[in-house]
Amino acid sequence: MHRRRWLLQLVLRALAHRKGRTVLLLAVLAMASSLATALGIVSYSMEKQVAGEVRKYGANLIIIPQSARLDVGSGGLNFGVITEPAYLQQREVEDTLARSGLKAERSFHLRGALHWKDADLMVDGVNFTDIRRLFPWWQLKGNWPATGETVVGSDLATRLKLKPGDTMELVGKAQTVRLRISGIVSSGGEEDGLLFLALPELQQALGLDGQLTLVRLMVTAGDESLKKRADALQLLLPSAKVNEVRQTARTSEGLLAKVKLLMFMVTAVVLVSAGSSVAGTMSTTVLERGKEIGLMKAMGGTRWEVMLIFCGEAAMLGFLGGLAGYLFGSAIAQFITRTVFSASAEFIPWFAGISLGVSLFLALLGSVGPMISVFKLDPVRSLRGE
Amino acid sequence: MVSAIIETSGLTRNYGDICALKPIDLIVPEGEWLSVMGHSGSGKSTLMNLVGGLDRPSNGSLRVGGEDLLALSEDGLARFRREFVGIIFQQHHLVPYLTAVENVMLAQYFHSVPDEAEARSALERVGLGHRLKNRPGELSGGEQQRVCIARAIINSPKLLLGDEPTGNLDHKSTVMVMELLKELRAEERFTVIMVTHNQEVAAWGDRTIYLDDGVLVREERMKS
Amino acid sequence: MVAVKLIPHILSWAGIVLVLLRGFPGRRSVVTLTSISGFVIGVTGTFILFRSYPGTIPFGIVKSALGVSFLFLWGISVAVIYRSTGRGVSIFRGERLVNTSLCAGVVACLASMVAGAVCACRLPATDSTALTFILLALAAGALAYTLAYAALAFDKLLSPSYTVTLTGMLVAVVALLLCSSSSVLRLDLFSPLSMKVMKGVHDFVHQFMESILIPDHLFVRSYVWNYIGLLFGKEVGFWGGMVIWFTPAFLIALAIRFERLPSVAHIRQGAQRRTLLAAAIAKRRYRLVIPVLSVAVFAAAAYQSRFPSVEYWDPKPLPVTASPAGEIFIPKKGEIDLEDGKLHKYLFKQGGREARFFVLMTPEGRLTVDLDACAICKPDGYGQAEGSVICYYCKTLIPLDTVGKPGGCNPVPVAFTEKSDGVVIDGMALINSWGSTVQATARVKEGGK
Repeated sequence: MHRRRWLLQLVLRALAHRKGRTVLLLAVLAMASSLATALGIVSYSMEKQVAGEVRKYGANLIIIPQSARLDVGSGGLNFGVITEPAYLQQREVEDTLARSGLKAERSFHLRGALHWKDADLMVDGVNFTDIRRLFPWWQLKGNWPATGETVVGSDLATRLKLKPGDTMELVGKAQTVRLRISGIVSSGGEEDGLLFLALPELQQALGLDGQLTLVRLMVTAGDESLKKRADALQLLLPSAKVNEVRQTARTSEGLLAKVKLLMFMVTAVVLVSAGSSVAGTMSTTVLERGKEIGLMKAMGGTRWEVMLIFCGEAAMLGFLGGLAGYLFGSAIAQFITRTVFSASAEFIPWFAGISLGVSLFLALLGSVGPMISVFKLDPVRSLRGE
Repeated sequence: MVSAIIETSGLTRNYGDICALKPIDLIVPEGEWLSVMGHSGSGKSTLMNLVGGLDRPSNGSLRVGGEDLLALSEDGLARFRREFVGIIFQQHHLVPYLTAVENVMLAQYFHSVPDEAEARSALERVGLGHRLKNRPGELSGGEQQRVCIARAIINSPKLLLGDEPTGNLDHKSTVMVMELLKELRAEERFTVIMVTHNQEVAAWGDRTIYLDDGVLVREERMKS
Repeated sequence: MVAVKLIPHILSWAGIVLVLLRGFPGRRSVVTLTSISGFVIGVTGTFILFRSYPGTIPFGIVKSALGVSFLFLWGISVAVIYRSTGRGVSIFRGERLVNTSLCAGVVACLASMVAGAVCACRLPATDSTALTFILLALAAGALAYTLAYAALAFDKLLSPSYTVTLTGMLVAVVALLLCSSSSVLRLDLFSPLSMKVMKGVHDFVHQFMESILIPDHLFVRSYVWNYIGLLFGKEVGFWGGMVIWFTPAFLIALAIRFERLPSVAHIRQGAQRRTLLAAAIAKRRYRLVIPVLSVAVFAAAAYQSRFPSVEYWDPKPLPVTASPAGEIFIPKKGEIDLEDGKLHKYLFKQGGREARFFVLMTPEGRLTVDLDACAICKPDGYGQAEGSVICYYCKTLIPLDTVGKPGGCNPVPVAFTEKSDGVVIDGMALINSWGSTVQATARVKEGGK
């Protein structure tokens, strides 16, 4: 009525009977598959994280006016050092970018000061749709602004006790604007101290129509070609400076590559040794259980049926080892990412498939030889104890 | 006239140069209890293995239950064994990690599908209704042998082979096992071939044949 | 080339014949003969249909035949699974007839007719003369004869223990028909099915939201929108379509799996009882083979429909610029001949915004300029197949005659003025039209974010 359930019961009984050996095999399989899993999880989640970081400091090229000075290391503009304001022509930059055929996400910025109460506030004029695309990690409490609205950096908001819904009147060189605060933005960077305004509104307020102070570009390109892209663009834009932003992510990339290589080698060694130890243990088991195999054959089990039972044992070991390996491997991955990268690894359910696969593969591969001897074993001899 | 369940002619088995069984012609009628006697190495176990489809003869013809065993493939032999033959061994050969019921169910599994209720009643029939869940290690020799008998008859074989089934048992257990076999045979009407070197055990049969050095030397019919 | 394209269709027909032979054991001659004649009738009939009604009508007829067979399978599968729960249900009065030669013949003939019709849809358009017609009929007959007898020979080789239930046979026949038709774009059922499901769910959610007066999106929290957005995604259509697609085969397989085993309680001898039981289980497993294989065939059909191997004419969009007055001029002659009846794609960029559009000469000789997007789908663009353009997103075929007319998944037309030497398009209008179209569709597809 339930042959399959019976087979399962048989396999479990057999494994439970030889606890020591079962535990040993499980440990070997779990160790091998957990290492493979840990390697997979670490490289997968760290790669994702590093890619995220690359994207975060994603504006990998910036265009600034020729005379402005830039502190490149921070990836942003330090206004303290600008002595003489210089501007880029928006139209010119747009045309150049169109002509260059560069595939890039872009964001135009105009920075300037607006007077509020008795202080100057640093204001960044931006295109909010670009911002949302280019800086997806910015966190916003409230809404993105419509016309006549603004968002305030979180530090600035705390300092000036501003909250969404407040209205502020800002005095610019050319115009005075009344703005409603629609949201508070925080990025964890210098943006937290700025006020953001739609680019055309700021241009009008400052009387700087069509002028920009900074263009951020995110070029999708490999490492080496980025420099080339920057040079090509520089040629087209003689009036400005095109700079490559140093990527802070590169260090973690290098470290990641080394850790991956190390883990890969360790895993390879462990897989090979685990495979051979599985093969060894399985063949002793089969030798020891010769009488049992002979008996099964004498009772009328065909060679295939008897082999199926032993394969079932191997597969069960592989399955359990894989499960344990997944749990253990996730823990190892957590540990490595915590200690080495000081980040936390993701919990990735589908890696269970990989650990199960590795463990099953090892268990079955290691059992190939023993299985052949199970298949070939002669019942008469084995029952006689030869 | 009872039809023959086993017919051999010129049955031979060589292991390399050693001739374990010299040409033997043997006819066993259905329902007979045949005892096979001889010293160790006389070829009696070889004969039993050949008849039970565990081994293949080197020469000669062998028909069991109308089936030509020489013509069967390896898997065909296995099918023959599970449907036609029940075997009881001297060393019991019970699977150590399975309980008594499960050992019986293993035979059912290879035959068709396991059926626990049937396995229980088979054990009750051999008087082990109280030890169903015990492992072989927890059973006495006689009890183990009775589990073996339950396992051997569970698939209603036409042919029951015993390879010195009482060799490891004391006198009391031997009598008990033999009584049981006799009882079961009366109900199930299977043919018994029992290899032994114990004259007393051989006397339970209808006929005894004596093997010496692979040759059938003597045949003796019991009076009953 | 045509012959190569026909091979899978003909092979699936041979598969159908084989399954039918298995499903009606003992009626081999009837099944073989009716299959052959059905196939020839299907091929020639569809051939005549194509010659008498040009355009999409014949495709529609074949497609409805396929659709009806699928619906029929659905009905049968539901009835079968209902019956397997132990309730008596009479599917139709003439159920006794199912195992007669008449039924075998009718089923074989109908299935082969549809298979033949699918094959005929792949035939190239040729001039219809009596001679070509007769040649075609002869070729179809000869082919059908050879293959049917090959199937017959193969059937005789197979062990009789590989039995097929009637439902299993039905599911295999429909699966093979759908697999055969799914590679012909116009006969494909899976893509329209998933599209319908998507639209249905979309409409339902829309109605539902309006009927319970949930205010506009902005007031619903964004994570709520993430869930609602799931219902709007392409995935809903796909997965919903998958469910509908595979359910009948699964139901039939389940019904076979749940078949009662024969009662063996009356047999006293345990070994005999168990032998019977084991044999019954093995038999049931054999009967499951065909339905399970059919699931794989259904999967192959869905795969073919989702990743069609047809190649489309899809030129790379050429960048164009506007004159200072904001007008885009595209010359008729020059590097590109606008009036060659092919799709010509262009890309216009201005101020960080861009629009993709194409210029096409319809078969009527009318030039049309349209966005490379439609009003309802994600702007994946269009490719040109024979006599039509296809929307890559929803795989809808739009006949060339109707390109330039608005509505549905037609490309959104753009106003333009035709001059003797080219067409002139207003750049700003183009950009705005693209912006509003893409925004409208993107909003729907990405969960209103």
